[in-house]
Amino acid sequence: MTKAIARYGQWGLSVLVGIVMFLFWYVWYPHALSYQEQYQLFLWTGDYFLEKISLPGGFADWLGEFIVQFYYVEWLGALLLAMLFVVLQRLTARLLPKAWWWLSVLPVAVMWWLMGDINVLLSLPMAFVLALALACIRLAKSLSWIDFLILPAAYWIIGPVIWLYVIIRVIQIGWKHLWSAGWLVAVQLMVYAWLLPQWPLQQAMTGLSYYRIPLQYPQWSGYDKDMYELIRMDYLVRNERWDEIVKRAGECQVKTPFWSNCVNLALSQKRLLADRMFDFYQSGEDALVMPRTRDLTSMLPSAEVFWRLGMVNSAQRYMFDTQESILNGKKSGRCTKRIAECMIVNEHYQTARKQIGLLKKSLFYRSRAEEMEKMIEAETEADQTTPNPSYSGGERSVYGRLRKMRYKEDFLYSYDEIDKMFGLLFMNNTDNKMALDYFLAQMLLKGNMQGFQQYLGLAQQYGGYRQMPLGYQDAMRCIQMQGNVQGSPYANYVKRMMAERRGK
Amino acid sequence: MKNIIKHRDTEVQSFLSVIIISLCLCISVFQLMSCRSVPEHPTMVEKLPEIYPDYIGVTIPADIAPLNFNFVDEDIDCMDVVAKGSKGGEIHANGDWADFNIDDWHELTRQNQGGKITFTVCIEKDGKWTQYQDFDIFVSQDRLDEWGLTYRRIKPGYEVGGDIGIYQRDLNTFKEYAILRETVVPGRCFNCHTANRTNPNRITMQMRGEGGGTLIQKDGRQTWVETKTDSTKAAGSYSYWHPQGGHVALAVNSVHQSFFTGTGQRIEVYHRFSNVEVLDTRSNELILSPLLQTEDLEIFPAFSHDGQWLYYSTSKPCNVPAEYLKVKCSLCRIGFDAEKGTFGETVDTLLNGPATDQSYVLARPSYDGRWLMYCVSSRGNFPVSQNDANLWLMDLKTGESREMKEVNSNESESYHNWSGNSRWFVFASKREDGMYTKAYLASIDEQGHVTKPFLLPQRNPRKYYREMMDAYNCPDFTKTKVELDAHEAYRQVFENRREKVKVKR
Repeated sequence: MTKAIARYGQWGLSVLVGIVMFLFWYVWYPHALSYQEQYQLFLWTGDYFLEKISLPGGFADWLGEFIVQFYYVEWLGALLLAMLFVVLQRLTARLLPKAWWWLSVLPVAVMWWLMGDINVLLSLPMAFVLALALACIRLAKSLSWIDFLILPAAYWIIGPVIWLYVIIRVIQIGWKHLWSAGWLVAVQLMVYAWLLPQWPLQQAMTGLSYYRIPLQYPQWSGYDKDMYELIRMDYLVRNERWDEIVKRAGECQVKTPFWSNCVNLALSQKRLLADRMFDFYQSGEDALVMPRTRDLTSMLPSAEVFWRLGMVNSAQRYMFDTQESILNGKKSGRCTKRIAECMIVNEHYQTARKQIGLLKKSLFYRSRAEEMEKMIEAETEADQTTPNPSYSGGERSVYGRLRKMRYKEDFLYSYDEIDKMFGLLFMNNTDNKMALDYFLAQMLLKGNMQGFQQYLGLAQQYGGYRQMPLGYQDAMRCIQMQGNVQGSPYANYVKRMMAERRGK
Repeated sequence: MKNIIKHRDTEVQSFLSVIIISLCLCISVFQLMSCRSVPEHPTMVEKLPEIYPDYIGVTIPADIAPLNFNFVDEDIDCMDVVAKGSKGGEIHANGDWADFNIDDWHELTRQNQGGKITFTVCIEKDGKWTQYQDFDIFVSQDRLDEWGLTYRRIKPGYEVGGDIGIYQRDLNTFKEYAILRETVVPGRCFNCHTANRTNPNRITMQMRGEGGGTLIQKDGRQTWVETKTDSTKAAGSYSYWHPQGGHVALAVNSVHQSFFTGTGQRIEVYHRFSNVEVLDTRSNELILSPLLQTEDLEIFPAFSHDGQWLYYSTSKPCNVPAEYLKVKCSLCRIGFDAEKGTFGETVDTLLNGPATDQSYVLARPSYDGRWLMYCVSSRGNFPVSQNDANLWLMDLKTGESREMKEVNSNESESYHNWSGNSRWFVFASKREDGMYTKAYLASIDEQGHVTKPFLLPQRNPRKYYREMMDAYNCPDFTKTKVELDAHEAYRQVFENRREKVKVKR
C-alpha cells in the first residue's frame, strides 16, 4: 500500500501540480501572463540568441523569454508554464530522499508565490530548473573534480542560481566538496573583473536577468489583490473587452487614476461615459488620462485613450516612454506595435519600417507587421501616383479614421490644458464623439462648471444622444442647486474633491 | 576485448566521419545560399548604381574602415564589385552586399592617397547580370589620425532615455566598445563625455538628476565633483575643455521638452535658464562672470583654439514653452585668461540672432583656429531637435560665413566636432528618416572646400542601421581609445563620493 502511494502518489502529485498551475494561469490569472508578455519581444534570430548568451545567465533568460512569448496565446502560455512547474517538481522529487517525495511540492509553491512579484522574470524559475537538472545528472563521487570544469560553464548558462547546484553537490558528496563554493566565488569575481566591465559587482554576484529592476530583488509579496486588479484592467483594455471592464468596475474598485483611466475608456467605447461616469470612482483631474509618469505601466491606459481619440503623437509618446521605462532594457511587443501604427498614421514610413522590421522577427507580431508593411507599400505607391500628399489611406481603415481625427494644426501639447486639447480635437472633427465626451468629462472633473454649461449644447448638437445623458442632467442639477442634490454622483465627487483639497 | 575496443574505434571513426561530412555539407549549403556567382555577359546600363549608404563621390581618409555597401533593391541575387585604384591596386567583393576585406581595403586606400578608387558594380537579378556606370570614391591627401569616434547612443524618444550608453568605435575597423552604459549605473541619465581636442587624457561627463555629478578624469584618475553651489542655479552640463587642460567651460541650465501635435517636428527642447561658467579642475573653483550669469540664456560654451576666447550662444528669456518661436540665439565670444582665471570685460556679438531672425548655436572652432562651425535654425537653442538646423562655417580670418550646403539636408544637422588636424569633421544628421541621428564624416581643405559626407561605415550597413534602434548623439573624434573604469564610476556614483567646488572670489 505504502509502495503504491509512493509510486502513484509521485505521479499524481505531478499531475495535480500541472492541472492547478494550468488552471491558475489560464482561468484565474491570464492577465498576469499578458503583463509579462508585453514587456519583452522575443526575436527569432541568431543575433538575438548570441546577444542573450553573451552574459552570465543569458541562456536561462533566453529560454525564459522563449516561453513567455507564448503567453500571447493564453492557453498555450499557461500550458508551458504548468509544464515548467511540473518539471521543477519532478526534478526536486528525484533529488529528495524517496520517503520525502511529497516535499517536492515545496519549491513549486515557493516559486509560484515568488512569481506573484510582477518583476520576477521567468528566467528565475528556468534557472532553478536548469540547476536542478544539472544536479540530477549523477556525477560519480570520484569525479567531483569535474565540477572544476562544469561550474564556470554552468554559471555562464544559468547565472548565480548555480549556487543551488553547489549546495546540492555539497549535500550529496559532503563537506570536502566545499572547495567548489570557493571556486564559484572565484569564477564570479573573474567574470566580473574581465567580462562584465559594464555591470556592477552586486549584479554579477546575484544575477543580471532574474529580476526586471536592476539592483533590486524579488519581494515576498505574493499576489497583491489591488495590483493584480489593475493589471487585469489593463489586460482587458489591451483586448478591448469593454463590457467586462464595466461589469468588473461595479464589483471591485481600486482607487487609482490608472483604474479610472481604464473604466472611463471602457465607458467611452460603449458611449456610456456621459451617462455613468460618476457612478464609478473618479480619481480627479487625472481620471481620463494621466500625466507622464516614469514607469512601465502607468501610462498604458492613457496611451490607449490617446490612440482612440486620434491624439496620435501623444499615444506614440506615451508608448515610447513606457517602453524605455522597462528597466532591464527589453523591448515591448505591445508598445513597438503601437509605435509603428502611430508612425504609419503620421506617414513616417521610414521609421515605421524600422519598428516593423523588429516585429517581423517575432512569432506573434509578425503577421500584423507584414500587414502594416503591405499597407505602407500600398500607400507609398498611391502617393507616387496621387499628387495630393495628404492621402488618407482608405477611409474605412482605422488609420484613415485616425488621420481624419488627429489635429490639423501644429501646436504644443499641454497636459495642464487637457480639457482644451480635447475641445480642439472635437472642433477639428465633430464626428469625433469620443473627443466630445472627454472634453465635457474633463471639464466636470476639473469643476469647470461655466465651461461645461457653455459647451453642453455641443452634446445635444453633435453627441448623437436621444436625450440628455443622465450624467450631464445630474451635473446640471448640481450646478443649479449649488451641490445640494441628495444622492447625486457628481455632487458626491465634487464634495470628495473639495474635502481632499482641504486635507492637503 | 581487443575486438570490442577495435569495434568501438571503428564506431568512433564512423561517427567522426559523419560529423565531418555533415559539417562540409552545411558549409557547402551555406556557400550556395550566399551568392558566389561571377558576372557573365552583363548588360551595361547608363546609370549609377543605387547603393546604401550613398558613398558615390565621397572623400575618405586612408585607413578608414571599408566602405561596404548594399544595393538598394533588396531582391537581387548577387552583387559583384571591383574597386580599382587610380594609383594602382584592385580589390574585389562578391556576395549579398559589397563586403571588402579590411586589410586589402587599407592597402588600397593607402596606395591611392590623393587619388581615387573606381568602383564597378554588377548586379545579378533573375539570373541576369547588369553592369552600372562606374563611380569614384576619393582618398584624401589629408590623414585622419584619430583612433576612432565616441558617441552616446540613446533612444530617440521623448523624456525617457532608455538604455543610454557612451560608446567608442575604432574607425579603422568595425569594432565598437562601450565606455559607460546605463547597466553599470542603472536609472541614471548621463550626458555625452567631452574630451580635450580629441585627447581622452581629459574627460568630463555629467550625470543628471538625483545623485548626479560631474566626472572629471585626468590622466586616468577619476573624480566626481558637485558643481552646484549657492551662487549658481544648477550643476554644470554641456561642457568644453580649455586647450591647456586645466579648465572646463560648463553651461548651467534646466532643460525641458514639449511635444507637437502635428506630423512634422516631434519635440521642442527649451531651457528655462542657462548660464555659463568655467571650472578650474586643479583647484575645484568655479570662475564666474556677471556677463555670463545674466537673465539671458547663455549656452553651449566652446574655447577658441588658443584658449583666449570663449564662444557661446545667448538668447533673451522667453516665456517658454508658450513663446518657443521667439527663442533666437546670438553667437558671442568673451575673452578668457587661463593663467589668471579671469574673463574679459566685454562681449563680442559675432552673429545677432534676433536681428537676422535666426538662431545660432553650438559654436565649434577648428583646432587650427581657421574656422568656426555652428548650427543655424529658425529658432531654439537645441539644434538636434530642430528639423531646419543646418551647419554653417565662419572663416575666422575674414569673419565671413556660408552655409555648408555640401553637407546639409532637409533634416537636422548638428553636434559637429573637428578632428585633431582640423581637416575632418563629424556631425550628426537625421537625413535618413527624420528621427534617428547618424554619424557622418566629411573633409575640409585649407580653402574651405567641403566634400560630400559619408555615413559611418558598418560591416553590413543596411542590416546594421535598420536594426539599430538608437540615435547617435554628440559624435566626436578620439585620438586614442578611451579608458574609463566603469566599475569605479559605479562605486563613486553610488557611494555618493563628490568633491565640492567653490566659487573663485
